[in-house]
Amino acid sequence: MMSIDSESIESATRDRAIAVSVDHISKTYPVSFLRLKRLFRRRFKPPVEALRDVSFEISEGEIFGLIGPNGAGKTTLTKIMATLVQPTSGSVSIKGFDSVREDEDVRRQVGLATAEERSFYWRLSAEENLMFFARLYGLGEAAAKKRIHDLLDRFEIGDLARRRFGELSTGNKQRLAVARAMLPSPPILLLDEPTRSLDPLAAARMRTLIKSLATEGARVTVLLTSHNLLEVEELCERVAIIGAGRIRALDSPENLRQVHTQTERVEIIFSARGGTKQEAELRHLLNDDFELTAAVRGDEWVLSFSREPLDNKLDSALNVLHESGAVILSVEAKRATLLDVLESYENEESRENGSHS
Amino acid sequence: MKRAEKTVLIPDAMTGLYSIVLLLRRVRAFLVRDVRLTLSYRMQFFLRIVSILIVVTTFFFISKIFVGFADPRFSQWRDPLAAWLTGLAVLNYFMTGFSSLANAIRQEQMQGTLESVLLTPISLPTVIVASSTWDFVQATFFSFLYLFFGWLFFDVHYQGSFLLALLFLLLTTMVLACLGILSASFAMVFKRGDPFGIFLGTGSALFSGVFFPTQLLTQYAGSAVSSISRVLPSTYGLDGIRRVLLEGQGFAQVRDPLMVLLVFLAVLLPFSLWVFGRAVRRAKREGSLIQY
Repeated sequence: MMSIDSESIESATRDRAIAVSVDHISKTYPVSFLRLKRLFRRRFKPPVEALRDVSFEISEGEIFGLIGPNGAGKTTLTKIMATLVQPTSGSVSIKGFDSVREDEDVRRQVGLATAEERSFYWRLSAEENLMFFARLYGLGEAAAKKRIHDLLDRFEIGDLARRRFGELSTGNKQRLAVARAMLPSPPILLLDEPTRSLDPLAAARMRTLIKSLATEGARVTVLLTSHNLLEVEELCERVAIIGAGRIRALDSPENLRQVHTQTERVEIIFSARGGTKQEAELRHLLNDDFELTAAVRGDEWVLSFSREPLDNKLDSALNVLHESGAVILSVEAKRATLLDVLESYENEESRENGSHS
Repeated sequence: MKRAEKTVLIPDAMTGLYSIVLLLRRVRAFLVRDVRLTLSYRMQFFLRIVSILIVVTTFFFISKIFVGFADPRFSQWRDPLAAWLTGLAVLNYFMTGFSSLANAIRQEQMQGTLESVLLTPISLPTVIVASSTWDFVQATFFSFLYLFFGWLFFDVHYQGSFLLALLFLLLTTMVLACLGILSASFAMVFKRGDPFGIFLGTGSALFSGVFFPTQLLTQYAGSAVSSISRVLPSTYGLDGIRRVLLEGQGFAQVRDPLMVLLVFLAVLLPFSLWVFGRAVRRAKREGSLIQY
């Protein structure tokens, strides 16, 4: 596991209490009726090791991102935190309550919103669905009604309150799922791809809402699982990258990018009217670090290269282009994104698997 | 970083009175949900009432074949229609007792709603009991209809203490509910192919004296087969209810079947709860709680 000590992150979270503590969690899904299968010499798939010694802590009011490829263990981890699955070893503490021994207390602290549409009663209206769950949370009638109307208005689906769940659009079903998770005003929210089916505007509003939950009033701690890495970068103070059941890296998005790759990719688009002669001259002046390709449009060219922060490659490139008489149209520097970081860990993982096999 | 203090959102959540209020609130939540879902299928509900009327009418005509043929050995069967109607009414209730708990789990699993229900601070036993409440309300209504239609249209008369009959019904249902808990445990681990439902459903109808006196089993199938009826709690429940409602017997006369039912309950209740606890733990360990 690559772990980065970052003073800024430490200081930001030092003063806040720990809301979630995941302590050396491992989870192996056992083979059902293994003894019987062995006795009757039936074939069976080996046990699935979904999580391996996972540990981290989330501070109160923090938005914590969990990213990783499909099958990495995100859902198992979320379900353990929501008490739906028991870990094989290790423990999860939510606001001081143990997820196995004090599961009912843990569920009072946690709201989980998944993108699973089948988790509602399709023949009941949006309001009836929420009322059912509000009663299960133990809310009184008047308080439940008020809370439901507030939430429906907050998610801009107040006018759909009496419509059957099955008749709602996918995006509205998703908003209702988040509204349900927020019904008991839990101090901890587990959000599994909360913007997956939302249109861009609604997704932006959802992100604003998530941000406000963590920063305003009684600060809510959020664990965000998402494949939308831009969203994770925008919202999360810290991100854990999970792969093959292990935490591969855990830090702020900025630090993850920096540690992953110090370089940035620069792309200069320029116009060169000198034809093949000018191209040959440029290729002569630029060494192998630079990549020169013809752009799709007319006499435009693209010069791309990787550079370390504050090195003189950009100056050299600009000088060469200037001397050759090229007209620079645009200069764009691209830093590594979380996608690059994730990809690199996935590659590392496949290399490891390759070496093991 | 310091640890978060344990914050109990409802400070008095575990105090006796409040937990009862919470339990009732949750049972009500399931009841309201199920009533609404049933009302969204009104025709099905209406057709069930019609089918009960048809069954009662059919048995009325079959009973007419036996007019004047009643065997004095079978005191509960002097009026076969009354015996059948009590048998059907009680069988309907018993079936609910041992099937609704497993069905409650299976239904939620198949709908995909079990996970979201279990995310609320509610225990699995509460989910099972609360989500089968509507089944029992319906069973009470439909069982009553068998007796009511017999009384209203076919001049069937009942005597004895209805309270005592109700006590028998309650006790037998509790015993069968224990078997229902075993059945629910089976559904939780194996998902399908529940043997309790198959054996008790068909077994009760055949061996408990729903359609014919259990003495006939000894006469025609031998004592080995008839002993099956003696290990079924529904035999004692039905016998007790018929003794009270059809023969007008009092508490002292029905003490024996009542005691047998109490013994069944004393053995099955702790055993079924123990098995259920193990099944829940196993499902959580395997992560198969919501699979079906």
